[in-house]
Amino acid sequence: MATLAHPANEPHRPNIPAADIQLPAVKDYEQVDREILATLQPTKAWFAALFTAMAALGLGIFSWGYQIHQGLGVAGYNPPVMWGVYIISFVFWVGIGHAGTLISAILYLFRAGFRTTIYRAAEAMTVFAVMTAGLFPIIHIGRPWKFFWLIPYPNWRLIWPNFKSPLVWDVFAITTYLTISTTFLFVGLIPDIAALRDKEKNPIRKRILSLLSFGWRNSEREWRHFARAYLFLAAFSTPLVLSVHSVVSFDFAMGILPGWHTTIFPPYFVAGAIFSGFAMVWTIVIPMRKFFNLKHYITLNHLDASAKMVLMTSLVVGCAYVVEFFIAWYGGIGYEQDYFWNRVFGQWWWAAWIMLTCNMILPLSLFSQKLRRNPVWLFILSIFINIGMWFERFVIVVPSLSHDVNPWQWSGYMPTWVDFGILIGSFGWFFMWFLLFVKQLPIMALAEIKEIVPPKMKAGKQSHASHGGH
Amino acid sequence: MTKISDTTAALTEQPAVKRRDFLKVLGVTGAATTVAGCTSGEVEKLIPYLVSPDQTVPGVSNHYATTCRECSAGCGLIVEVRDGRAIKAEGNPAHPVNRGALCARGQASLQGLYNPDRFRTPMKRQGDQLVATTWEDAMQVLAAKLGEVKSRGQGSRVAFVNQHELGSFPAFLDSVLGGYGIAPHLSYDAEAPIAVAQANRVAYGASWPQIDFAAASLIVSFGADFLDGWGLPVPQQLAFADARGKIEGAPRFIYVGARRSLTGLNADHWIPARPGTELQIVNALLGRGSLTAAAESAGVGAGLLDGLAREIRGASASAILSGGYGEDAGELAAAVAELNKQRGNVGKTIKPNEGYLAFEGVAGHAEMRAVAERMNAGEVPLFFVRGSNPAYTTAPGINFAAAMAKVAFKVSFSNVPDETTSLCDLVLPDNHGLESWGDAEPLRGTLSLQQPTMDPVFDSRATADVLLALAKGDPQMAARFQFVDYRSWLSARLGGNAAFKDALPTALKTGSSAARTSPPRVETRRARAGAQQGTHFLVAYPSPTLGDGRGANKPWLQELPDPVTKIVWQTVVEMHGETAASLGVEAGDLVTVTTPAGSITAPAFIYIGIRPDTIAVMLGRGHTASGRYARAGQNAWSLIASAEDQRSGAAALSATKATIAKAGGDVRLVTTEGSGRQHGRGIAQATTIAALIAGENQKEHHLFEGQASTAFLPGLRSPTANDAQGDFGVPNSKDKGMYDPNHWSGAAKRRWAMTVDLARCTGCSACVTACYAENNIPTVGAEWQGPILLPDRTGFGANITRSREMAWIRLERYWELDREPKDVHFDPEHADFETRFIPMMCQHCGNAPCEPVCPVYATYHAPNGLNVQVYNRCVGTRYCSNNCPYKVRYYNWFGYGDPSRSQYAFPEPLHWQLNPDVTVRQKGIMEKCTFCVQRIKEAENRAALEGREVQPDEFTVACAQGCPSRAIIFGDAADEHWSIAKWAQDRRAYHVFEELNTYTAVVYLQKVNHPAPAASATA
Repeated sequence: MATLAHPANEPHRPNIPAADIQLPAVKDYEQVDREILATLQPTKAWFAALFTAMAALGLGIFSWGYQIHQGLGVAGYNPPVMWGVYIISFVFWVGIGHAGTLISAILYLFRAGFRTTIYRAAEAMTVFAVMTAGLFPIIHIGRPWKFFWLIPYPNWRLIWPNFKSPLVWDVFAITTYLTISTTFLFVGLIPDIAALRDKEKNPIRKRILSLLSFGWRNSEREWRHFARAYLFLAAFSTPLVLSVHSVVSFDFAMGILPGWHTTIFPPYFVAGAIFSGFAMVWTIVIPMRKFFNLKHYITLNHLDASAKMVLMTSLVVGCAYVVEFFIAWYGGIGYEQDYFWNRVFGQWWWAAWIMLTCNMILPLSLFSQKLRRNPVWLFILSIFINIGMWFERFVIVVPSLSHDVNPWQWSGYMPTWVDFGILIGSFGWFFMWFLLFVKQLPIMALAEIKEIVPPKMKAGKQSHASHGGH
Repeated sequence: MTKISDTTAALTEQPAVKRRDFLKVLGVTGAATTVAGCTSGEVEKLIPYLVSPDQTVPGVSNHYATTCRECSAGCGLIVEVRDGRAIKAEGNPAHPVNRGALCARGQASLQGLYNPDRFRTPMKRQGDQLVATTWEDAMQVLAAKLGEVKSRGQGSRVAFVNQHELGSFPAFLDSVLGGYGIAPHLSYDAEAPIAVAQANRVAYGASWPQIDFAAASLIVSFGADFLDGWGLPVPQQLAFADARGKIEGAPRFIYVGARRSLTGLNADHWIPARPGTELQIVNALLGRGSLTAAAESAGVGAGLLDGLAREIRGASASAILSGGYGEDAGELAAAVAELNKQRGNVGKTIKPNEGYLAFEGVAGHAEMRAVAERMNAGEVPLFFVRGSNPAYTTAPGINFAAAMAKVAFKVSFSNVPDETTSLCDLVLPDNHGLESWGDAEPLRGTLSLQQPTMDPVFDSRATADVLLALAKGDPQMAARFQFVDYRSWLSARLGGNAAFKDALPTALKTGSSAARTSPPRVETRRARAGAQQGTHFLVAYPSPTLGDGRGANKPWLQELPDPVTKIVWQTVVEMHGETAASLGVEAGDLVTVTTPAGSITAPAFIYIGIRPDTIAVMLGRGHTASGRYARAGQNAWSLIASAEDQRSGAAALSATKATIAKAGGDVRLVTTEGSGRQHGRGIAQATTIAALIAGENQKEHHLFEGQASTAFLPGLRSPTANDAQGDFGVPNSKDKGMYDPNHWSGAAKRRWAMTVDLARCTGCSACVTACYAENNIPTVGAEWQGPILLPDRTGFGANITRSREMAWIRLERYWELDREPKDVHFDPEHADFETRFIPMMCQHCGNAPCEPVCPVYATYHAPNGLNVQVYNRCVGTRYCSNNCPYKVRYYNWFGYGDPSRSQYAFPEPLHWQLNPDVTVRQKGIMEKCTFCVQRIKEAENRAALEGREVQPDEFTVACAQGCPSRAIIFGDAADEHWSIAKWAQDRRAYHVFEELNTYTAVVYLQKVNHPAPAASATA
């Protein structure tokens, strides 16, 4: 490995299965409790951030209210571009969610050690991202007050949703995903909530925390059950990482539009989702490690490892782009060829090149170890990837619709302030929840970090009794 | 309430139920019923008639035959009246002029009837404004003014300008006017081709001979836009379509003119002669002058004119028509008539004996100028106008409005505000044509009667009745006008009340109304020298839909895309790409057009069908006082120098030269066009006549063949929804379930389908307006395009510019080009290009892509082949539209059908026209062509009530009914007795996007081109 997995002067620790990520600056359990629980103290900057997020949300609520009152015409729809910013943002936010589940579930099953310090943040991000995504299909429909017609509820008229429609599959995918990821987040939080409870002085808060921790007593039996439950949920969530975004991709792949009707979409969407999700994790975690003084928890080694993941998914996504172009040419279908030409060199070249630059070209910098270990660059790159991935969905949704089989109806698309207001509001909604979360519950899994930190030995002195089998 | 009582009955029989439980159940049931009964709309009451008016059965339509008054042609109408309100105007199939067809303007007569800007009462001037008054007051004022004129003996100086109309009313009017010593009225029609009519009268002895296109092997038009509203649009279009629909032996069509109008686009060949050189070409064809010299001055290749001469010589029978609006239009028409005589066409293709009388007695621009001059000189003490708008439809040079200001008292009988009426002192609103008695004699010996289809919408009175009342009030006239009303005057004149009444059901009668005399000739005027100073020829042409401007306050016509430019609500300056390049402008950039008469600033529109030295502007928009819908656009009349045709005095609309300059700035073109080229996708397909005869017509499919599917019926690849049914859709499967036409359930017994013959379709767009009228389609309106159309409109806009028009059927117009129109170089030898029109509506696919993607089953397939849209179920995901390859689904962005919204498309009383059989769609749902399912149901219900089956061709859909080309055929393709069953198997049949396996129910028949015969063959 190019990276030094653990400091040379420290011996291996026995209680970490894959001991390639260590926290040398974290000495004992008390330090973990002290430092991580210290992040729960509200600061002025946090209030400012929360206020900004809520102001953005306010703009979103106003824009949506205006849209409901006036009609969807106030958004920038330009038939035949019947889907726009809302569906783009829907896919974007669902995609964001995927990295969280990947980190907390799949990497857990694969015993990837670098997940430990970032998975809680990523998991919270997942829940809030899916909560955000779930709003968009409702915002986007013409009669949002009738959205429940998409849910198969028993009704007197015996009318069911159309199970052939990918939009109904979406309903199942999103609700399943939200349920499982929320449960997973909550279950993982139980020991930490118990730790909070033990330190809490305020009786009301203590009572609430007691309830939420299900009376956790830190017993051997509880830990055994907890580990089983967590493993089970991890195994349960794993297929969702693949299936949810595959289902989302069916919204497009099941259509017959040139640019949509393609079998590559499910893997392509999943890779893109993980790619964008990791970028969002960086966007959140890199400032967090700075402002919360957690650099010795989320070390450069962690960032380095996640950067490799980003690089890999970027290459997969880039490969998918190239395959799309190739198939359009190789398939010999005029509609597809026309469409892809228009997408890359015609009307939509700017969007396509934003996408290609941000998602394919810039991440190539991660081949450099130096840049992988440069948090500032990673943060900047994460913003570019977020933009690039939003534009990837733009490029999928808008150019296909605007340039479909019937030339007479070709058109352009330009969002209005209402679209942008709701988009900004969605970021406000997401960050509002996240900011509230970081000040209420520990942003790192205390219990899991303690697993890395060497336990206090009876001798009282920190000891490395067992030296790894190297 | 029945629910609750049923429940109570059931419950009381069980003694085990305690009173308390019973009340609980009752409470719950009652609440449930209340909740279920909740709707978002307010509760309305249906009150039945206590005593039903004569012939009126609630919910059942009456149909009245009458005569259309929208132009001078005199087409027959059948107006559908439901519960006392006219809801649809259709052609009268028995009428010899229009044979059941009706143009867009005729369809839109309903929006004149229900125009929200109609005068609701008589109006009287008070200061700067017209204020409402009573009929008693208005009549008194009018009688006093007339008495004054009469007593002073000034009657001969009074001017009365009436709209040009056929029938007895002009004679009646003159007889009343004569009683006051007033000179005969002027019958003004700014768009009437007076120059041609007058030349025809001299040459053929009939002002408007019938043109039998079918008898010709060659049609040559020198600017005669017979498909654009010039002349008698409906009968001409019927004749043309019948001729082209013959396929074998159909005439070839050559158009000569600087701008290719809709008529020009229907031609097989275009000779882009400079404006004003047509006469020289015709003279050369007559042997007076050389073709080479003519080609030189016309700016076209000499080969083109040689070819023209050769083809005319070679044609067994040709129909040569002249139109145009030059100063020499009359001379040109005379020369063309001579050419027709020389070629022996008279009697063969030009039939003076079967002539139309539409343009008898019509006054032109010169007469209006003479009136204006008299008014200016202060000679006119009293001025009357009725239905005509000379203050708008005359050249600004004669300054009609300023001249009117010098008249002491001006009276208008118009029922809608316009530029002329707004200057008047007294308005006595006439009834609308659909509320009036009258007659017309469109063909010699044939009377077309006009009867009211409903009570007047507002407090208006028929001008004829007003005049009658005045005459009765005048002691000298009273004896001659002892009639109850104009109807009795008319019936007495037309052979008695009984005969009149007998004729009303068809509104057709033999007989003759008064002969018309032409207005006294006045001297015509040539353009001033300055008019020829400009850099570009200016072609100002009457709009095919708005006419000279009279249709401008009808949103249907404003939002009907111009058949050529596809522009709505907007005035554009049409110019060739080369012209635009030399000016440094692109489409949408503002340019200023200046002539000696005035100037306008409007966006540039790049049009390949125009010479680079010519620009064109459509007349009819940019009104200042013609109501709320007429404001949009620019008034091209302001560019017209006051030149006239030297023989007839018709306005010379194309005799002015203009200077154009870039104005700076740009606006979005308000167009419904996306890409005007097919990009090789075989949407509007064509074949040549030679290939067709040889049996070699190729399908223009450039990709691959569609999948073979279960063919129940010849012609339709998958006539039922079989293939939409997933697992059942195995092409070879014998089990077709209930979708088998022979299934015992009879569910799929019928397969509603449509054929569209592109050899007949001219792109006139009448079907679009018919669809608007039938299906309550909202117009989006100029108000909602931001400041593009109405500078004072600053609210959010961009709706049609965002392709949000709602037309369920649209006319796609494709240039057959290999590059964008703006990049086309003008070659005077080879300027010709092909244009194809194709009506596009929901294709009712057997395997519809829209159906499986709808999450709530708002769109699904009916066994009879219809792709059904359930508005109430739609939540508005718009996925169906995304997945529709034809893009024929339209989304209701703002709730155009909701009276509480500012976007409401049917302000009182326009909503009286709404078809009660069709839902007015609400905000946030998808809508589309239904194949007029309400008409299908009506026919089926009628048949069921009469205990029979629906008869073949018993009914048809709105677009097919109105089509003046008879291009659309609708029916049951599963029954060989319907005519569609035959047409669907035509050798020219194809389906659009066949390779997508959508198995459409709309079958298109290829357009047939008639290329130039080989030179050797005709030599």
